[in-house]
Amino acid sequence: MNNIIGQAFKLGDDVNTDINCSSKYAPGKDSQFISTIAFEQLNPGFSQRLKQAQGGIIVAGEHFGINSSREQAIAVLHLMQVRCILAPSFGRQFFRNAINNGLAILECDTSQISDGANLNIDLLTGLVQVESKQTIQASLLPKEVLKIISMGGLIPFLNQHPDWNFQA
Amino acid sequence: MGSTISEKILAAHAGVSEVKAGQVVVCNVDFAMVTDTRAGNAFQVMKKLDKPALGFAKNTAMVLDHYSPPPHEEAAQTHQSMRNFSKQTGTHLYDIGDGICHQVLPEGGHLTSGNLIVGTDTHSTTYGAFNAFGTGIEGSDVVGVMTSGKIWLRAPQTVKVHLDGQLQPGVWAKDITLTMLGKFKAEGLNYKAIEYVGTAVSAMDIDDRMTLCNHAAELGAKAAILEADEKTINWLNAHGAKTPQPVFADADARYEQEIRINVSDLIPQVARKHAVDDIVGVNEITQQKIQFALIGTCTNGRLDDIRQAAAILKGKKLAPGVRMIITPASRQIYLAALREGLIEIFSMAGASFESAGCGTCVGITNHLVPGDHEVVISTANRNFKGRLVNPNADIWLGSAATVAASALTGYITDPRTIDGGTWRAVA
Repeated sequence: MNNIIGQAFKLGDDVNTDINCSSKYAPGKDSQFISTIAFEQLNPGFSQRLKQAQGGIIVAGEHFGINSSREQAIAVLHLMQVRCILAPSFGRQFFRNAINNGLAILECDTSQISDGANLNIDLLTGLVQVESKQTIQASLLPKEVLKIISMGGLIPFLNQHPDWNFQA
Repeated sequence: MGSTISEKILAAHAGVSEVKAGQVVVCNVDFAMVTDTRAGNAFQVMKKLDKPALGFAKNTAMVLDHYSPPPHEEAAQTHQSMRNFSKQTGTHLYDIGDGICHQVLPEGGHLTSGNLIVGTDTHSTTYGAFNAFGTGIEGSDVVGVMTSGKIWLRAPQTVKVHLDGQLQPGVWAKDITLTMLGKFKAEGLNYKAIEYVGTAVSAMDIDDRMTLCNHAAELGAKAAILEADEKTINWLNAHGAKTPQPVFADADARYEQEIRINVSDLIPQVARKHAVDDIVGVNEITQQKIQFALIGTCTNGRLDDIRQAAAILKGKKLAPGVRMIITPASRQIYLAALREGLIEIFSMAGASFESAGCGTCVGITNHLVPGDHEVVISTANRNFKGRLVNPNADIWLGSAATVAASALTGYITDPRTIDGGTWRAVA
């Protein structure tokens, strides 16, 4: 549960998920459609390769999700079978949206992770094992955040814990 | 070690004695806001609730401002749903033309000093002008608030910015926010709270203080917050807000960084096309022709913005080939401008004065689409390529005075060189 395994799919700095991973500029298109073309402009074939690998881990640069607030981006990432996102920093609202929609998200230095590397991430310790030869320490997620992610997001959490009890 | 304003407000709303930056807390919210851009998503999220009890709806406002008026059926239907929802749940409703969310919330008396306010728009930082912690959220968050009255927040680090000295006539809060963007760059203060203090803040009227806090969103800030003073309290009382509970930082509060900017030497600034952080003094720009001049948005659509533009355009005509639109931030501001005779000044100058809304800021209504190679100067907060639909047009940003001066000459112009360009309200 707390370990996520997968291949690294790299993206660069300042990726705006409104532009690259939502229908903000493709009105009327649903998440299913967007999931087939997401990040295409930045990295042709990105979505197709993720699909062939049956999902994976997005490894990005600074400010992933910058200037974008749309929750739809997370729905699209789930459809693309993205299991976790690693980046040194995230757009503030993107970070919240990932947690609120049950997508694991960790802040760490990603400069040493190459595209296609096999990763093993321990959410509890924040340790990212890269190809069994290198380990990167990510910022620890607060226990409340881990709880919300593990329950699949904020609304599933509140359905179970309308009193916001994180201990139960 | 003491606490910052943000840490104190979050602690008070979490029911704990102390909150430190980095800590996650669950806070009681005082008021929530949903705009028409995110309402559709919020309604979808509501369907995931096992028990659709939305007890907090009465402390929530639905604001129909971005799609104002609606440009397609999808937006019109979202508006219908918002109106119906408001009737069923007692949510406050601000309909088309009533104004932009960040203006109608304070005008409607929905917030006061010491409050925690959340809204489905990045520029919810604006409420910090009233010493409230205001921050932007999305659909899941706001549905969580409507059902439980609470939200989880990670307490931000605070950056303290001293604005020393005094702004010279013709220089405004927008010139400070652009300076900040040039210094820290877009998202340079991501996740952080900003506390602005100093003589220049004290001297500002409420309209300029709202600009200061509003435009912090482009710095990536989670909140931007000022101390409450007599001006704040008088304004809140005049708008029927609940009794202000001013919150001050402790003398030994821990700041992530503290910087000082002396604004006495500051001149009007502009953001060059396509980037909010490509900032330059307006005097360095020569022979930059413009075709559109826009005054409005949640950043600079307030009465003092409209007054400073009117002072420049009074009895004059726009430069040939320039089209100008003024969009007040709310119906109350529209009425005030009407009563002061400002609308006539703009109309006589050849400009259009439109009803309140977000239309000229973001190209989702097709309200205003510039042609290829046309140059827009706007008081908006963002100028990304294609922000007004056409990626082959350029958008520059400046204060209302700079925009009006540019509309008059047809070139990006320092307002201080124009008769009326150094207007300032008499205290």
